[in-house]
Amino acid sequence: MTSLLLIRKLLPRCVFLALLWPLYSTVSAAEDAPPASMDPSHKALLEEYCLDCHGPEKQKGKFRVDELSFALNDLQTAERWQKVLDAINSGEMPPEEEKQPPSKEKADFLDDLAHVMVSARRQLSDQHGVITLRRLNQRELKNTLITLLGAAVDVSDLPSDTDAGSFDTVGANLFMSGSQFEQYEAIGRNALEEGFALRAATGVPKKLRYEVEETLKTISDYVRTELETHERGKKWVEAVEAAMARPENATVVAELRKSAKSDAIVRRSWEKIAGAPSPESFGFISTENTADKANRAFNNNPASFAYQSRYLELPALDTGAYLTIRDIDGGLNSALLPRIPDGFPPGDYVIRVRAAATAESAPERRFLDFGFKGRKRPTTSVHEVTGTMASPEVIEIPFHRTLEHRDQNRNGLYIRERGTADNFEQLKFKQEQGRKLNGIGFEPAIWVDWIEIERLPDSEIAPGLRALEGIALDDKTRPPKAPELRAAFERFALEAFRGAQPSERFLDRLVGCYEESRADGSRHSIALREALALVLASPKFLYRAEPSPSEERRPLNGPEMATRLSYFLWGAPPDPTLRALGNSGELLKAQVLAAQAGRLLDDPRSMEFVKAFTRQWFNLDRLDFFEFNPALYPRFDYATKLSARNEVFETFANLLRENGPASDLLRADYVVINGALANYYGIEGVHGDAFRKVSLPKDSPRGGLLGMAAVLAMGSNGEHTSPVERGAWVLRKLINDPPPPAPANVPALTRLAGKVLTTRDRVLAHQEEAQCASCHRKIDPIGFGLENFNAVGLWRTEDSYHVKDDEGKAVPNAKISWTIDPAGALHHGPAFASFLELREAIATKSEPFSRGLSAALIEYALGRPCGFSDEPLVDAMVAQARTKNYALREFIHALIRSEAFQRK
Amino acid sequence: MNIPSSRRRFLRSTSALIALPFLESLGFRRFASAAAAQAPAKRMIFLGLGWGLTTETWFPDANQPGSNYVMPKGLEPLARHKADFTVLQGLTHKMVNAGHQGSTFWLTGANQFAVPGKSFHNTVSVDQVAAQHFGRHTRFTSFQLDCGTYAGNSGHGQGLSLAWDESGKPVAGVNNPVEAFHRLFSSDDIPLERRKALLKKRHSILDTVLEEARDLQRGLGKNDNAKLEEYFEGIRDIETRLGKDEQWLEVPRPKAPIREPKAGLAGYEEIKLMYDIAAAALQTDSTRVIGYRQPVDTLLTSLDIKVAPHDMSHYHSTMGEKLDASQRRDLANSELLAGLIDKLKAMKEADGSSLFDHTTLAFGTNTRTEHNGDNCPTLLAGHGAGLKMGHNLVLPKGTPLCNAWLTLLQGSGVPAERHGDSTGIIKELIA
Repeated sequence: MTSLLLIRKLLPRCVFLALLWPLYSTVSAAEDAPPASMDPSHKALLEEYCLDCHGPEKQKGKFRVDELSFALNDLQTAERWQKVLDAINSGEMPPEEEKQPPSKEKADFLDDLAHVMVSARRQLSDQHGVITLRRLNQRELKNTLITLLGAAVDVSDLPSDTDAGSFDTVGANLFMSGSQFEQYEAIGRNALEEGFALRAATGVPKKLRYEVEETLKTISDYVRTELETHERGKKWVEAVEAAMARPENATVVAELRKSAKSDAIVRRSWEKIAGAPSPESFGFISTENTADKANRAFNNNPASFAYQSRYLELPALDTGAYLTIRDIDGGLNSALLPRIPDGFPPGDYVIRVRAAATAESAPERRFLDFGFKGRKRPTTSVHEVTGTMASPEVIEIPFHRTLEHRDQNRNGLYIRERGTADNFEQLKFKQEQGRKLNGIGFEPAIWVDWIEIERLPDSEIAPGLRALEGIALDDKTRPPKAPELRAAFERFALEAFRGAQPSERFLDRLVGCYEESRADGSRHSIALREALALVLASPKFLYRAEPSPSEERRPLNGPEMATRLSYFLWGAPPDPTLRALGNSGELLKAQVLAAQAGRLLDDPRSMEFVKAFTRQWFNLDRLDFFEFNPALYPRFDYATKLSARNEVFETFANLLRENGPASDLLRADYVVINGALANYYGIEGVHGDAFRKVSLPKDSPRGGLLGMAAVLAMGSNGEHTSPVERGAWVLRKLINDPPPPAPANVPALTRLAGKVLTTRDRVLAHQEEAQCASCHRKIDPIGFGLENFNAVGLWRTEDSYHVKDDEGKAVPNAKISWTIDPAGALHHGPAFASFLELREAIATKSEPFSRGLSAALIEYALGRPCGFSDEPLVDAMVAQARTKNYALREFIHALIRSEAFQRK
Repeated sequence: MNIPSSRRRFLRSTSALIALPFLESLGFRRFASAAAAQAPAKRMIFLGLGWGLTTETWFPDANQPGSNYVMPKGLEPLARHKADFTVLQGLTHKMVNAGHQGSTFWLTGANQFAVPGKSFHNTVSVDQVAAQHFGRHTRFTSFQLDCGTYAGNSGHGQGLSLAWDESGKPVAGVNNPVEAFHRLFSSDDIPLERRKALLKKRHSILDTVLEEARDLQRGLGKNDNAKLEEYFEGIRDIETRLGKDEQWLEVPRPKAPIREPKAGLAGYEEIKLMYDIAAAALQTDSTRVIGYRQPVDTLLTSLDIKVAPHDMSHYHSTMGEKLDASQRRDLANSELLAGLIDKLKAMKEADGSSLFDHTTLAFGTNTRTEHNGDNCPTLLAGHGAGLKMGHNLVLPKGTPLCNAWLTLLQGSGVPAERHGDSTGIIKELIA
């Protein structure tokens, strides 16, 4: 029992591994890896400070340190050491009244022990190359259905498979449950419905143009109505006031005024005032209180719709429309919302927007946010408006329409000025800013001529649908007979199972299910989809099985190799070429395999690997953990965040494309950016939506991961930078020297709350306690060295801190400002005086960085933890890449060439 | 109709290691039903109020914590039950910011935006957690009553009832008393044969995929087999569910302890009727967990109040007739609740104790008034969870409402370790 508890502690987010432990324990753990062990020199500390109570004389808590083995090669020993670590970390031991070790000594001891525990964890959880059966994860399932049926269905209700703390490809963390099975059935049915619809729509052209000047009428009507309503409200108020002024009403009015906060409240009691007219008689009809409505109309004076009145004075309203910034009016023209007619079938579409930026508009406002309708749906993409009023340009945005877009909440798209309605806080902020500027609101910056939606010609028929050719997919023609149906089921299952043979009895039962549905009154097309959905919910589809009845590790066969390779580099099943090479066995030849790996990497589909791998490796999900305060960081809107995240992907993709050195991620003299990011970073002369390589001046802080807005913003909490978060990230990801997990039971540093301190002083408090200093002396200097970047990755030289009270309000006279001092030194490493020097120091770490990259690739590609027993493979990958100046593809080729990749 | 024994045998034999919890649970069920015959079972009722209540006159004075407090005006109709309920103050859902959604997250505490890129997300509600535990003994795992199409007007927000299932999907509710009555006490509309056929079809589907799973399994080694076992386990869970449907298929409905309700009642009378039905459902042990999103708009109409429901919740802006409406609504709610408590007290268990002794009622919403989600009104009544009754329990501001739910679960014998954003149980709430 206790050992199980320990495993949970050692593997906090890998509970399932704990269950599997007995299976793997048949392989000796200590055989091929050096045991994790504490250096014998630490015996002195234990003897000096612990032995009196935990030795031969006394055994308090039945715990003896003198019998503790210094080699942690079994769970019992590791568990006992964990107790030592926890007790010293929490300050529980040595007890307060006893002699305490000096801080430095204690810190070194804890530092070593924490690292030994990390090693022990790696060692004791080493799977020794055994790959647990892998289920298709959420994104692989989506890609697989796109490949098989051409259908892009919503799979977001399934578990995301990314929260296990490792890659979403790791088999042991890919679970299954009854409700999930039912979701697979439902997703399968949706995908089939969509696939069938795509098939039926083959060759159907659709095109539609919206002339957006039609929106003018709504705005002019609005202004007219508002004005008219206000006038009526004013007249009612005047009439009630006249009645109130009558001498006979003096007593009543005085009485009413006593309890009312304002005249508006008094007017609510108009019925008690003789001669006061009803709001209804002035046309105020409502199910709620009509006097409230009339009072509101009275308060709503022309100043409150000045923004819309101003709109009517702008030029070129007869041929187009401007994008406004959402105002209290409900946001007339703050978004243009072309509706796609219901008759437009699913398929690939392009939306074209002919647009211009006004001559006066600031460069950072010349961007469009594009997304699917629904105010809370985040921006899908951002586009630069490069056209001018004299010569507008057409922006093309591709998108895939699915059956889900039939839903009336999803059947539209939106175009709006970037960063004007990401969330409510931003909206309010923009309004206030605009009002402050000129009393009315920001002048519109973007003019749109028209919006066009066109369905693109269909790509070739998806293999799953091709397999069904010969039987009717709809109810217009004769439904197939049982033998035809069975043959079609077999062809479909072969395709869905990536070449694995469905069993005879399975096919029989599928036909049985179909017939049962038909007997029950279902139409043919429905019964067919229900039966086929079972193929998509059965284990040969959902799991990537590599059968091997004995536990012996055997070489993969051709089809298995094709599947493993394509899920690695595309996150999707093999295409016909790869499948054919797999089936013929050609793929098992080293040269063919390498050539195919190269082909897959050249294909745009490898972006799936780039995104999934880098997102998880670098923990980019942290960018979504918090909202960036729009009042503090107005420029870091969703569009910027989206582009910043894409910069990481595009930089990695560019390295893959060029087979450039992985070490460019540590430092580079170029960036890979689009127009939006160039504007954000202040780099001149880059316009448009495509990411491209741009050279940097010598002293630029950009270039490499450390200069990327996404990486720097992740190292904040949306408001302040977090030097600890940043420093730890650098240690984990760039230097491959991950700090051990933060110790349990350490009290938070609350005593500093509300103190007027610089960031450095606040963070340095971590180093007062020995148990904290052991890690923070490594982490913090790196974080301080990055302080010239603010919470959203923009360069700064000054910083300040303003104490806030419980309500979040700034406390007067509790502010401190300082000039940032990035100077410091790596632990046991070189000193640096500036960010650029820190970056130089980190750029020398290509070797450890390459090891980290290799380990991550092994884990991602093989779907299992990279253990001690993988050290030789890591060595081989790094050695291979080193000969080619750490060229990125060399890592991948070396991995694919390895026995680990080629064996079950 | 029974599940073919061959499949059962097969499912059991796939792996001794993993089959253990399954066998254990079967055994436990038998044991638990035997035990249930002796000690009266635990029950829960959740009553959701939608558009909040009147802060100033519903909450007891926060300066009079404990059992010696002056009954506030809004709770006066409950005075006769003072020793049998507790008002909790200071509770909140810190992840919820939903001014017009008094019920959507009330029992879940979920963060609507927890999943990046998704505009709506919810998690399991506390009643469903309890239902998973208690529900296997009764025909209805839980029973959801609802105000139906009026939900928006009543300030409840998204959802089909108070309940959200394991994967955060809404659970459907029954919208009117007549239908609720028939569900509980009248025989099924769908002919037995047809219901059997539907279940049989579901079994065929499971048999079909199992066929393929077994075929795959034959080729796999020990490690992969252990992983594939999760798939078998998933199918087994569904079969267990179907098994329960089958088990009740031919068991007749209990005789109704109340008369068939009149159709067409709305507002005050409708809520009263729904309460009668809820009590009858517990009395006949048709279910042990009940939820009800109460109508607010029709309640106002039935009380002859002209103020619109949303407008009423903004009584602060004008006071006057909106405040009056809000307070009259509170009184009506308290009267109705007092009536329900009377009824539960009058119903006797086999051992002579009352149903109320084994039931917990939770009455509240996560919109206090206006659009405020702090200090969520929470009233707990009944002795089913061993909670301290008769108190004005003033907790530190910002105490997670989910801590109250967790305390309720644990007190009722549900082995939950956390719920929503809970940080622990509320020790002061334990008797």
